[in-house]
Amino acid sequence: MTGQTPPPARAPDQLAPLPSPAPLPSPAPLPSLAPLPALAPLPALAAIVAVARFQINRLLTPHRLALAAIGAAFPTAVLLAATKARGSALDTDLGAILLYGLVPEAICMLGLLVTMCPVVADELERGTWVHIAVRPGGRRALLLGTWLAAVLWTGAVAIFALLLALSVGVIENGLILLGPFSVLVCLSCIGRAALFSLPAVIIPKRALVASVGVALVVEYLAGLIPAVVNQLTVSLRLRTLLVRFMDWRQNMPIELQLLVDDRPPWAQVGAVLILAVVFLAVAVAILEWRQFPPSEES
Amino acid sequence: MIEVEDLVKHYRASSGGIVRAVDGVSFAVNPGEMVGLLGANGAGKTTTLRMLATLLAPTSGTARVGGCDVATDPVGARRRLGYVSATTGVPDRLSAREILHSFGALHGLRGDALEARVDQLIDVLDLGTCADRPAGRLSSGQRQRVSVGRALVHDPPSLVLDEPTNALDVLGARDLLAFLADLRSSGRAILLSSHRLHEIENRCDRFVVIHGGRVVAKGTREAFVGKAGGLEEAFFAAIAGARAE
Repeated sequence: MTGQTPPPARAPDQLAPLPSPAPLPSPAPLPSLAPLPALAPLPALAAIVAVARFQINRLLTPHRLALAAIGAAFPTAVLLAATKARGSALDTDLGAILLYGLVPEAICMLGLLVTMCPVVADELERGTWVHIAVRPGGRRALLLGTWLAAVLWTGAVAIFALLLALSVGVIENGLILLGPFSVLVCLSCIGRAALFSLPAVIIPKRALVASVGVALVVEYLAGLIPAVVNQLTVSLRLRTLLVRFMDWRQNMPIELQLLVDDRPPWAQVGAVLILAVVFLAVAVAILEWRQFPPSEES
Repeated sequence: MIEVEDLVKHYRASSGGIVRAVDGVSFAVNPGEMVGLLGANGAGKTTTLRMLATLLAPTSGTARVGGCDVATDPVGARRRLGYVSATTGVPDRLSAREILHSFGALHGLRGDALEARVDQLIDVLDLGTCADRPAGRLSSGQRQRVSVGRALVHDPPSLVLDEPTNALDVLGARDLLAFLADLRSSGRAILLSSHRLHEIENRCDRFVVIHGGRVVAKGTREAFVGKAGGLEEAFFAAIAGARAE
């Protein structure tokens, strides 16, 4: 309270009359839209690539780039801390184990959780779902294009993280890991982005939580059970390839040998690709079948 | 041309029952015609428009866009349809030009043809001064114009607009409706839903009123509005008649 008395209200008749408002201008005639020549049907692959370009365009924000840079620097920071704790450079085997946990596992998982899981929920929430799904490529192009964008974005961040970690020279002969680990990054992104597409289309609004559950239960729990179920996991294939690349199998205790597959590397690569195709085909079928009433968009 | 025959859409409610969102709707929109689809909230307008846009599958009945059945030839229907929703769904970070480019590419436009089409839409929709500004910094009217441009990027012969003037001021709404009238003159079939009856009263050639998922009245502007004295009165009379039955 200021203690000041408010000025007396003016009676309506004390208000000076306004001049008559000018009439609203008539809308200016708009130029006409020239017709387009008939468009050829869009090939499915072109529609997928077009959606992927659109999604990557949307991912290129300063905020996301900053997060990606922090994520890419994280493995290097951990390796530097480990080197400092040991007082010497890491030998190749130890460096490979740390790098495997940090890049094809942690960085790829986190990147894919952020980019792949919201494929449906984000579009519904932002109101962009109807505008993309109504294009000729429809829902299939939306899902596969987003999968491609997630693989390219996460793969690029992970490869950058790998290059950074190997370039600081804290792993002895570290550069020999670049080729094999690039393969592991690619397979991790291809397989797990496809895996995460399933919760994204089945329970869009809980996709992130469900995908974390899938990662923990399917990839890390079932993947470590030496039974038929672990044959359906990407983690088994990546682990097996790591052991092959590093030539560790002969020196592994017999109980640890149960955690990797006996088949050759090409079979592991083929298995990841087949798993990815199956996961994506199921996800596309579910998404084509699902109905999203207007009330679900909020 | 847009044709809807005995279109039905039922949802399973969370309680286990069946929700009859659309229950046997029939109407048509001819080339060079603008038809207003009217109804209260929850009447079934958006569900009908979503089925035409292939975003929802009909439970039964048929809907055709440019002769393509939305159930059996959804890709053909999508190629012949432009869809504008009440929420523009324009990505905040991308500019109008980038958005039109991206959606043109989704229809297979490439290179010079895409550039020319985007430039033409920017010119026609009067977006020249803000075409390269992030969409998040555009006004509601400008964002809705971007949304209309996105629907027209592939030059569709049919256009479906779901409450396109909702977020617009009087001037913005009038400009948009004048633009739609121009599109109708060029031979496009336009189906428009709106709650702002005074805006579309003199713009639409015919009206279809939906209530409870059913068509309760339809007719030409003269026949539908003439007797009641105004669109709002005609609309209230149609709804009151349906409620009384």
